[in-house]
Amino acid sequence: MVPMCQRITSKPASPMIPNSSYEPHVRARRPGGRPDEKPKYRVLVHRRFLMYYNELADRVGLKQAQQFWDHVSQDPGNPDPIASTCFLRGRSGRPKGPGWSRTIHYEVSSSARIDYQYHDAYTTEPDSDPHPVVAILTINYSSH
Amino acid sequence: MSDVIFLPTDLASKRLEFLDAARNGQARLRDKDGTSLVMLPESRLRLLETLAKWWQAYMRLESFLRRTELPRASELGELAWLRSFERDDLEEFMSELHDALVAATADEDTVALDDCIRAWRITARQLEDPLRRSVLVGPHVPEDYVEASEPHDSE
Repeated sequence: MVPMCQRITSKPASPMIPNSSYEPHVRARRPGGRPDEKPKYRVLVHRRFLMYYNELADRVGLKQAQQFWDHVSQDPGNPDPIASTCFLRGRSGRPKGPGWSRTIHYEVSSSARIDYQYHDAYTTEPDSDPHPVVAILTINYSSH
Repeated sequence: MSDVIFLPTDLASKRLEFLDAARNGQARLRDKDGTSLVMLPESRLRLLETLAKWWQAYMRLESFLRRTELPRASELGELAWLRSFERDDLEEFMSELHDALVAATADEDTVALDDCIRAWRITARQLEDPLRRSVLVGPHVPEDYVEASEPHDSE
């Protein structure tokens, strides 16, 4: 099985983030060999939900999983033309900090939902280059 | 309120006028015993029922939040799904619900109200799980995030 998430370990970790696998200057590749657009947004997932993310294609089918990927990696701030989305409310919906969006709840299927925020100019340290990022906060596979 | 009041005998002789009045909002009919009856489009009846239900819920919740302690699930009844929320979230819900009710009443359309309730119910569901809750309401910690790549076929 090809892993859906990868940890990049070829470069040293950021000095600000010891032992972090996150590298801000390496874009995620588009696996599968399809010559589509490069991702505009780096896509990150909370490590506690990495296992769930790895199951996404098996859970909802490759087509829907890739549709989610295309949405968040290209245009996470606009409504998806197919999937249902909404902002979470209350504290759960508030931006995680300056520059972060509100939390968007994306229904990949009737039994798979993903919450994410995006940041158009994210930096991991004060002097680093700003880059657009999507952070997947949670994944929920229970049906409503 | 319609000025025209139909009589039971009009249901035969003025059937089309009666139905037109109902279709256009409401048709009033005075029964033989004096009871006033109204026929109206079902969509309007549903709108009025929905608004009445949620205004009532709003008032009930408002009275709960005047107390120091948060309402228990048994007190919330149909609104027990709100038990996932802390006080500040409940107050935000109340404020948004009020705005949605005013908009729905003015628009004679429950779209804004439905969207509001749906989003809060979804949020409550996401908060039911302790892990999801901790990530959703917790601060952003960069070290907690790892690179995700596009979904692949597992074969």
